[in-house]
Amino acid sequence: MGYQWNWSIFGSTVPTGETTYLVWLLSGLQTTILLSLSAWLLALALGSLTGVLRTVPSKPLSTLASAYVELFRNIPLLVQLFIWYFVLPEILPFGLGDAFKQQLSPLTQQFLSAMLCLAFFTSARVAEQVRAGINALPRGQRAAGLALGFTLPQTYRHVLLPMAFRLIVPPLTSECLNIFKNSAVCSTIGLLELAAQGRQLVDYTAQPYESFIAITLLYLVINVVVMGLMRIVEARARVPGYLGSK
Amino acid sequence: MISIQNVSKHYGTFQVLTDCSTEVNKGEVIVVCGPSGSGKSTLIKCVNGLEPFQSGTITVDGVSVGDPKTNLSKLRSRVGMVFQHFELFPHMSITDNLTIAQVKVLGRSKDEATDKGLKLLDRVGLKAHAAKFPGQLSGGQQQRVAIARALAMDPICMLFDEPTSALDPEMINEVLDVMVELAQEGMTMMCVTHEMGFARKVANRIVFMDQGQIVEDDAKDAFFGNPRSERARQFLAKILTH
Ligand SMILES: Nc1ncnc2c1ncn2[C@@H]1O[C@H](COP(=O)(O)OP(=O)(O)OP(=O)(O)O)[C@@H](O)[C@H]1O
Ligand SMILES: [Mg+2]
Repeated sequence: MGYQWNWSIFGSTVPTGETTYLVWLLSGLQTTILLSLSAWLLALALGSLTGVLRTVPSKPLSTLASAYVELFRNIPLLVQLFIWYFVLPEILPFGLGDAFKQQLSPLTQQFLSAMLCLAFFTSARVAEQVRAGINALPRGQRAAGLALGFTLPQTYRHVLLPMAFRLIVPPLTSECLNIFKNSAVCSTIGLLELAAQGRQLVDYTAQPYESFIAITLLYLVINVVVMGLMRIVEARARVPGYLGSK
Repeated sequence: MISIQNVSKHYGTFQVLTDCSTEVNKGEVIVVCGPSGSGKSTLIKCVNGLEPFQSGTITVDGVSVGDPKTNLSKLRSRVGMVFQHFELFPHMSITDNLTIAQVKVLGRSKDEATDKGLKLLDRVGLKAHAAKFPGQLSGGQQQRVAIARALAMDPICMLFDEPTSALDPEMINEVLDVMVELAQEGMTMMCVTHEMGFARKVANRIVFMDQGQIVEDDAKDAFFGNPRSERARQFLAKILTH
């Protein structure tokens, strides 16, 4: 194979001369992390709320929540991204769309659209997990909470959700990993996250192997860190005498 | 204290309760028994509004349970309930199980609630287990904690739904002993149970249900001496030979 390995490209300066390729890569990493983390936090909040609503006795509320989940779960992520970025600003009422296009920098527009897209898409999946967690609890737990005089929200807050979330740490971990992987889709609207920077590196340096190996390793590091953090969460939340713990 | 008047309930076309009426006066102990599926759990859950019902009225201490204007949470905080499967909160220590509703519902201070909770835990003989978690206790111990948890709210009456039927035989008595003591102290109690020894010892009246109806509602001696209905006779014969 005639491929010329050249690992020093990361230290060489970019064509415009102000920085190195390594810095490009790291700025992509930073964008990926910021984007995914903020989307994850929003997804957790929205998903928890929606998941809870799917289990409340009120029929209209649970129907509304089901519709939300089906909507965001069944449209392909890429299509959702284009809708958030290209379509929504055109149809937002009260001058909101124009404000979005004129007052925000292009970078902020991309980041905001990408973040909301990932958050809503993932929230539907989080909602399904939260619902499954709540439904996996013994039915008597809700009755026991209510019977003590807790209101329904208090019953969720103190009785149902603490156990439901413990049960769903593993599936939530994989949703969290997914959001980092899915964030690569956002390069299609021009957001310079990790995957986009990787491709840019290939274009400029013509050293595709080094570039792709580098971004693969960076994604791997993210994976390992997320899994490590979730394992700590799981250990901290372990309930004595329950489910195989001691 | 508890008054149930002509209560009927159905799930779709399935009639679970048909025209049930009975009373539990202050200080009385009523035992509800009957075959599986006869509607005992449903009836007792109607008393604190955990199950809605379509017609009839239930009042607890003068408060109508079915009235949409009734603050059900407030009413429930005054009615203790003990479940077949204990339903302690597994993620909380025994102490937290005993105190959380006192603090969050009754607004008691943490110290006051802990004091009260530990006193009751001592009463059911489990003081040494205050720091443990429910999963670390036996079924009988968990059920005694559940009774203490209900008592910590200073209830005006107690509802029991088959409190011993999920327990191993050797643990049944430790729970029944607590219930007998409670009855003898004058607690108003409505107990779904098939423990006829308990019924004989402390019940004032026995309510026998079959297919969603109250078939018998007799003083204890009359019920055990000479139940009027054939169904009740058969039922008694079956459970007493066990
Ligand atoms: N959510 C529900 N939907 C439809 N039917 C129900 C529902 N809950 C209970 N039932 C039915 O109502 C009837 C009464 O149930 P209930 O639990 O009150 O009986 P029970 O006397 O407590 O029986 P057991 O001794 O087995 O606890 C049963 O036939 C049951 O199948
Ligand atoms: Mg029952």
